[in-house]
Amino acid sequence: MSEQPITHLSEPRLVSGWSAATGSWLPAVILLLVTIVVWEAAVRIFAISSFVVPAPSEIAQSLVAQWGTLMQATLVTAGEILFGFLVSVVVGIAIALVIVRFDWLGRALYPLVVLFQNVPKVALAPIFILWFGYGLAPKIGLILVIAFFPVTLSMLAGMQSVDRSLLSLMNSVGASPTQILFRIRVPHSLPNLMAGTKIAATLSVIGAIVGEFAGASDGLGYVIQFASTQLDTVLVFAALLLVSVLGIAFYYAAEILERIVVPWAPKFSQA
Amino acid sequence: MRIETIRAAGDRPSHIRHDDLISTKGVSVVMGRQLVLQNIDLSVPKGSFVSLIGPSGCGKSTLLKVLAGLVQPSQGSVSIAGLAPAEATRKRMIGLVFQDANLLPWKNAVDNASMLLGIADRSLSRSQLRARGQEMLELVGLGDSAHKRPNELSGGMRQRVAIARALALDPAVLLMDEPFGALDAITRDSMGQSLLEIWQRTGKTIVLVTHSIDEAIHLSRHVHVLGIKPGRITESLDIALPYPRDLSVTEDPEFVRLVVQLRTMLRSSHQPGGTS
Repeated sequence: MSEQPITHLSEPRLVSGWSAATGSWLPAVILLLVTIVVWEAAVRIFAISSFVVPAPSEIAQSLVAQWGTLMQATLVTAGEILFGFLVSVVVGIAIALVIVRFDWLGRALYPLVVLFQNVPKVALAPIFILWFGYGLAPKIGLILVIAFFPVTLSMLAGMQSVDRSLLSLMNSVGASPTQILFRIRVPHSLPNLMAGTKIAATLSVIGAIVGEFAGASDGLGYVIQFASTQLDTVLVFAALLLVSVLGIAFYYAAEILERIVVPWAPKFSQA
Repeated sequence: MRIETIRAAGDRPSHIRHDDLISTKGVSVVMGRQLVLQNIDLSVPKGSFVSLIGPSGCGKSTLLKVLAGLVQPSQGSVSIAGLAPAEATRKRMIGLVFQDANLLPWKNAVDNASMLLGIADRSLSRSQLRARGQEMLELVGLGDSAHKRPNELSGGMRQRVAIARALALDPAVLLMDEPFGALDAITRDSMGQSLLEIWQRTGKTIVLVTHSIDEAIHLSRHVHVLGIKPGRITESLDIALPYPRDLSVTEDPEFVRLVVQLRTMLRSSHQPGGTS
């Protein structure tokens, strides 16, 4: 037979995992270190006040000194992000399924969803505080309205891009719309859905911080706002650093989830 | 307007005979304002291998969809073993293979091969489906690739799985729409040869839509040429080469003669017709 099985389709370069990882990470790490050194040097040479731009060493000191408070705040924010993210994904998937499965409902719902996407949702934060108080609920609500859209949209795109001839095949054996939905459309949409989920993970971090800005008694957003009213720029930067770490952690958690859920999907990321 | 009569067996007129598995009478299809197919009388004897060939836009794929019950004819009747296509579909009499294998990337070869059967017959257990899938993979020469995912298979192997998937339904007829159209020439030849062997082992009736003159003559017993504007059967050709055929048949003087004849027919089928 003239056909040969294709292996390593997803691995164009035949390098081992570790050297590939360090090879692609190393330049970024070097640039980061150089930036920190230049930053530190600039602050010292030009004697910039830590009130304006604190040196990295000062931020590190602040991190250590306020470790307990900052960790407590990080945990609160991480909890909001995780909870809000999960709710966004579940609601986002549910809306997409309803739109695809019930045609008339979809035609009613879809334009409204798109319309709602154009509402500046950050501006909803004060209203959510008014409705739900200062606790977890307004943050979850805000994350939901910010993060569900990419989930819904990406899943819809995946479910609607099923090849027509595959649908013909399904119809040729009398498959029901529900069978086509769950056996074909939903699994087919998973690579798209996971891409949307990664966007939702990033937006969840923004949603949580905005929610805390609008009104909170704890969390990193609260720390940032409180510290800036105290003109404690060093603490603001320390909290910002932790917010960034949270954002990166959630993004990569979503990426790991993607590899578990859709091992067959083509991998486009460099790492 | 020319009245088209199709002589499937070459020696008998086109009235429906009892050994015809598929027959259409006066089938026309209008899509929008366009007459896609006009007055198609086609009969496919049980167990035969029939090819439909013609230029792009002649409606040969639409004709296949009419036979599969996926497109309703605007006029005329279609019978698959005496049943309407929708009824034949319900009885799993029709197996479909398209140009794109359309395998599910999240399922391995054996689960892909039994996927349609599992939907058609919900009473079958997972292990029964697997056994049937494995049996069909062996029939198409992929018995040892059962656990490979589609992205680990070549284009030709994926198309073999698609054929196995259609055969798993144990259909009376296999309707194939340019199944090898996306494959390279060498793979295409070996796939054609495999299809011939499968046809002879299983005794299925096969209707093949193709662009390839060589493929049509190499594989089929009867070739129908479709013309454009409107899509209609302009000529029919019996391929008298004996079976079993292998690729050496392409060097047979009779094969060469048939290629020339079919090419001439195809050339005239490019002329818009409807009057003559």
